Amino acid sequence: MTQQPSPARPPRLAAWLVDLFASREQAESILGDLSEEFSDLASRSGIANARSWYRLQSAKTIAHQAGAAFHVAPPWTAVALLLGFLLSWFSAGLPGQLIVALLRTQRPYSSRHYEAYVWLLAYGIPIVSITQSLLIGCVVALLARGREMVAAIALSLLRAAPIAWLLFIFFGRAPLARPVIPFLGPFLFSRALDLIGIVIGGVIVRKARSASASRVAAT
Amino acid sequence: MSARGYLGEFEHIVLLAVLRLADQAYGVTIRREIEARTGREVSIGAIYATLDRLESKNLVQSRLGDPTPERGGRSKRFFCVTAQGVSAVKHTQRALRSLTEGLALLRSSL
Repeated sequence: MTQQPSPARPPRLAAWLVDLFASREQAESILGDLSEEFSDLASRSGIANARSWYRLQSAKTIAHQAGAAFHVAPPWTAVALLLGFLLSWFSAGLPGQLIVALLRTQRPYSSRHYEAYVWLLAYGIPIVSITQSLLIGCVVALLARGREMVAAIALSLLRAAPIAWLLFIFFGRAPLARPVIPFLGPFLFSRALDLIGIVIGGVIVRKARSASASRVAAT
Repeated sequence: MSARGYLGEFEHIVLLAVLRLADQAYGVTIRREIEARTGREVSIGAIYATLDRLESKNLVQSRLGDPTPERGGRSKRFFCVTAQGVSAVKHTQRALRSLTEGLALLRSSL
């Protein structure tokens, strides 16, 4: 029995990213157009060429769709961003306060589960912090209907700006003149997790909305 | 399109391509038409971003076609130019003609 060659398929990650960034109304048509051109190109110039063409087109499409998001609905996207920024700014110390309050009520120093409390103190704050960022990402994406990913990524970049400024000051000076910043590594790591949490929040809302729209279309 | 009714350069090109393609205007054909006639390489994303903007200004309308296997079971979105879109194209063409009229430099190079 001879095996039939499987039909060429476009790069999955690129297609997934286009689906994530394109507006919901356009995602299906854009992906369909890209698939049609991909099949045509694969039969004419080979799969490798078609795949690199698809990746390049996907990157350009994402850039255009991101720009269009602000062009089509600038006030509402800006409101979502501002609200997300204020939420993340004013709730910045909340995870630490929450864990400390929890530890105080449980009186860990007199407990037999001391190690569990130490673990909670060390890892609890980052876990609550990333959950908080995830929720903020969800709120922003819910408000920026149809432009979820652009709003979530823009908020992430906005939150990253002060950190980038801090790093610029730190590495912009000569090694001996650098200010002493205690726990710089863990601080940057926790900030990076927060930024990723916001983006994941956007992905969750976007995917949930796409799935719900597909279910409605199917029925 | 600006407040005075003129189209942007790429909006103008996309509308003309949609008009030329008549009932066969969707992302792939519009992209190929622009490339064939202007030599300008454009991305699908740029075309959709422009069409989205034109649709929000009521210059084009779209409808979904049937899904096809070569498109991974996805539908085509066909576009057509509205009466308002046709008048925007005419308006822009008139403005461009008026600007180029009597230019000796253009006459000799065309």
